[in-house]
Amino acid sequence: MTDPTPSRRDELIAAALADDLSSAEQAELDALRAADPTVDVELAELAALTTRLGDLGDPSDGRGGAGWVDLEPSDDLRHRIAGIAASEPESVRGAAPGPTRASSSPAVAPVTPLSASPGRAARGRRGPGRRALVTALGAAACLAVGAGAGALVAAPRDPHVDGPPGTLGAVEPVAFAGAPSGVAVDGDVVAHTWGTETLLTVTGLPAGDAFTVVVVGDDGREYESGTFLGTDVEIDCSLNAAVLREDVAAVEIRGADGADIAVADVPGVGA
Amino acid sequence: MTALLTPHRTPTAERSPMTAPPSRFDVDAAFAEHGSALLGFAVNALGDRGQAEDCVQETFLRAWRARDRFDPARASTRTWLFAIERRVVIDVLRARQRTPHLVTPDDAPDAASHDPDPLDRLGLVEGLARLSDEHRAAVVAVHLRGRTYRDVSETTGVPVATLRTRVHYALRALRTHLDEGGTTDD
Repeated sequence: MTDPTPSRRDELIAAALADDLSSAEQAELDALRAADPTVDVELAELAALTTRLGDLGDPSDGRGGAGWVDLEPSDDLRHRIAGIAASEPESVRGAAPGPTRASSSPAVAPVTPLSASPGRAARGRRGPGRRALVTALGAAACLAVGAGAGALVAAPRDPHVDGPPGTLGAVEPVAFAGAPSGVAVDGDVVAHTWGTETLLTVTGLPAGDAFTVVVVGDDGREYESGTFLGTDVEIDCSLNAAVLREDVAAVEIRGADGADIAVADVPGVGA
Repeated sequence: MTALLTPHRTPTAERSPMTAPPSRFDVDAAFAEHGSALLGFAVNALGDRGQAEDCVQETFLRAWRARDRFDPARASTRTWLFAIERRVVIDVLRARQRTPHLVTPDDAPDAASHDPDPLDRLGLVEGLARLSDEHRAAVVAVHLRGRTYRDVSETTGVPVATLRTRVHYALRALRTHLDEGGTTDD
């Protein structure tokens, strides 16, 4: 046999790795291996790799492998991506290129202590224009632990993002008040281009009871963020609402009867 | 609890006029070119479309914010975006590992069993996602789904020799990716 072209060598190796050689091709490969010891080296290297690939599995073979899924981005994701450059406020653009940057140093909004901004939620909720519209547009991503509730993972966030209230990606602590004795609620909100995320750590709620998280807008409109079940262990929750952070006045945790369990006023953006 | 947020730095005062001109990172163009591959990485690493799309969004958000630090002379946009997404995905996987799950006794794993570390397979999944569609399709068909080259050829109309060459190329690329630390989080 004459020296094979590189592509023929590659073909034979690929076929051997898939146990897909004909008798004639096997003889051809054997001759190649005898003449070129690097073939065996490459076969050994790639065989280890194909074993790992096989472990990824095929979802249709019933062995629990996840296989490989090809997906096209949804229209929702396309819109969210398109909004990144458009909606990112100048205050978080960093050293953004462009002629306006030098003159656009953001005025840092003073952070208003919660105690100095009472009643934002109350105004919104009790005003004459209140619309008790609970929307289910917010995609809940609850990390409630246990009780059979679906456990998803909190949306990733960059812990290094900071800035005034409303800064995209910054974790803003908020104080929940009114929780019953024995119930502890620790919360944060995060502004995103697509809405507002609420992060909750809760202990002490009765196991098995259902609770709803509602984000209240400045105009009193209510946006349901999701539900979770009380458990005997600490609950870690991330819930999303389809309302921009700048329009949020409060976050409320409610019981199955609709009564408030705990309420957090959310500082106004630019206040 | 009082909101304790650090005032954002004024960016312009800290940039040297001697730094390189800021790069132009076109979010829309980058998403059109690489969005599907990035989504493929995330959804196959996480097994959840919603989380995967959140990861892709977070990747582009971080890239947008860091666009002035991107140097196309050091890495392609694709490589840069995958590096960002790898860190985002690892954050999610680590959050999962930290989260206890209550399960029924029937579903409880054997105490002596060892679930595979999801980070171990991350490099492999990323490597597959970074391949071209044609190369990935060939290697997935043959080595994940166990199809023969002839079967794939009859389905796709691509000659067996071409499929074999694509798989060989894909495997070499995967091997190189893993050798270069595709499983690390930088």
